[in-house]
Amino acid sequence: MAIRMHAALRRCTWLLALGWLTSLPATAALPEDPFRSPMWEYNLARYLGADAAVRHSDTVVIKTPPFAEDATQVPLTVDLSAFPHEIKEVITWVDLNPVPHLFTLRPEAAEIRTVALNFRIQQASTVRAAVRDEQGGWHVGSVHVEAAGGGCTAPSATASNPDWADSFGQVRGALFSPVGGVTGTRLKVQVMHPMDSGMVGNIPRFNIETLELRQTANQQRLASMALSESASENPLFVFDLEHDAQQSGILLLLRDNGGNLIESRMGI
Amino acid sequence: MNMRHLLLLLGSLLLGSGPGMADAYRYHLEPLEIAEGVWVFEGVTEDFSRANGGNIVNTAFLITEEGVIVFDTGPSRRYGEQMREAIETVTALPITHVFLSHHHPDHVFGNQAFDAEILHALEGTIRLLAEQGDDFADNLYRTLGDWMRGTEVVLPTQVVTPGRVTIGGRAIELLAMSGHSGADLVLFDHSSGVLLAADMVFYQRAPTTPHSPGIDVWREELRELEALDFRYLVPGHGPVVSDRAPFAQMQDYLAWLDDTLRSSAAAGMTASEVMVLPIPPRFDEIAVARHELMRSVVHLYGAYELEAMALISEGG
Ligand SMILES: [Zn+2]
Repeated sequence: MAIRMHAALRRCTWLLALGWLTSLPATAALPEDPFRSPMWEYNLARYLGADAAVRHSDTVVIKTPPFAEDATQVPLTVDLSAFPHEIKEVITWVDLNPVPHLFTLRPEAAEIRTVALNFRIQQASTVRAAVRDEQGGWHVGSVHVEAAGGGCTAPSATASNPDWADSFGQVRGALFSPVGGVTGTRLKVQVMHPMDSGMVGNIPRFNIETLELRQTANQQRLASMALSESASENPLFVFDLEHDAQQSGILLLLRDNGGNLIESRMGI
Repeated sequence: MNMRHLLLLLGSLLLGSGPGMADAYRYHLEPLEIAEGVWVFEGVTEDFSRANGGNIVNTAFLITEEGVIVFDTGPSRRYGEQMREAIETVTALPITHVFLSHHHPDHVFGNQAFDAEILHALEGTIRLLAEQGDDFADNLYRTLGDWMRGTEVVLPTQVVTPGRVTIGGRAIELLAMSGHSGADLVLFDHSSGVLLAADMVFYQRAPTTPHSPGIDVWREELRELEALDFRYLVPGHGPVVSDRAPFAQMQDYLAWLDDTLRSSAAAGMTASEVMVLPIPPRFDEIAVARHELMRSVVHLYGAYELEAMALISEGG
């Protein structure tokens, strides 16, 4: 019963927040967080800037399971197929993680309407995706994920496997048609990398920090992505890409903080 | 109880949970005799919760000429102790054997109520419980709170040799399988025709897949079990039956899961997209199907995705 009451209250807060948002133009004042996370304002200021114009948006759709079956690998898909503006930047974070930031994606020559990447979760938390439009305003989608926790401080399966170095840097991938009838290309790629968070014993941080997608033919950059400690081990990336000259193939560049550059080509 | 569990328990007490009366934390276990000398305690077809205290599992006992054979000990020390009390209302004979079907917590966390010297399990089960038992306990303390009070992992001391054995006049066959958890013991009592299938068979409740070596392995072993000449089937979760309906349902569900994961991977879908795919209406009667589909995607989908991708750079 207590749970049901809580859900009803939460829904009311949502409606109030929505009403408030639609009745006022975006200002520097922050909307209330329907999930009442203690980190809401702090993380908004940290990742979007102190003066960011922020509003909630149900067109920023975060698809995660409601609970973390494996705290080291929680599936996340950010679906922006209904987002009504141009997408300049997408920033995701996990409110209560020690390092909340998951990734920052900047589409360049390609339009990206879907992006997926698994994350770690240290305890039950709200997960956010903030999208910057062409006017500079931020549109935020939020979900809550239950977790028994410990995802950031669990030792990586890679590190406990003595053969991990053999597969380090291995890249698997494929190109598909995007799900849901969108035109363009869905790129799915997985990289074998321990992505050590630096929070386990005295294993130092060792993770992929940047990803770039380029056109093979002219090296034009399609998109770039910066990654942080919330990203899971052996990361699997999915992007729905729409860009010109799709027949030319895609070059994937990954750099970690250990100075490794992992380069691979997909398509023609 | 170790310090970790004590802290978890204190946390759950401070949050306030569960019944607070003298009659609190009773599972009200009612033994049901399904065949001559074969008794079952039937749990609910739900997920672990503070409302059910973890009584989501079927356990059983068989009465022989010399004593009692227990099959699985339930989700907590309290369950094991209350199971033992319930057995004593049926017979004064001593408990001579406890067989543990596999290492999952809802089947082995009542072990403390029994003499460790008579706990029997497959070698793989003992190893898996030693590796994963403490993590299971942490999770269950969080989920069930005081229901778990005093519960600790007790490893079986007797390694089961698969095959036929006579115990107190009962002709018992012990089958070693792996499809559900990596090491699954099935007990077939030829004397009564009762097949204690444990979690190799779920009925009206979606199967769980966290340690399955693969759906194909599981389905093949299900065909072997179905071929046995049994009169009653006791699934690990779900109602006892006298027909083969659970096998048809398991095969149907697992085949659908396998096909869905394979075709989704071939289409390039993300894990979170697969989790919300429609579940066919014919599975409406299967409890917690959506919840288990989400879990199964986490357990299994990665392997299907790997198959659907090409090796682009060798690495190393
Ligand atoms: Zn099980």
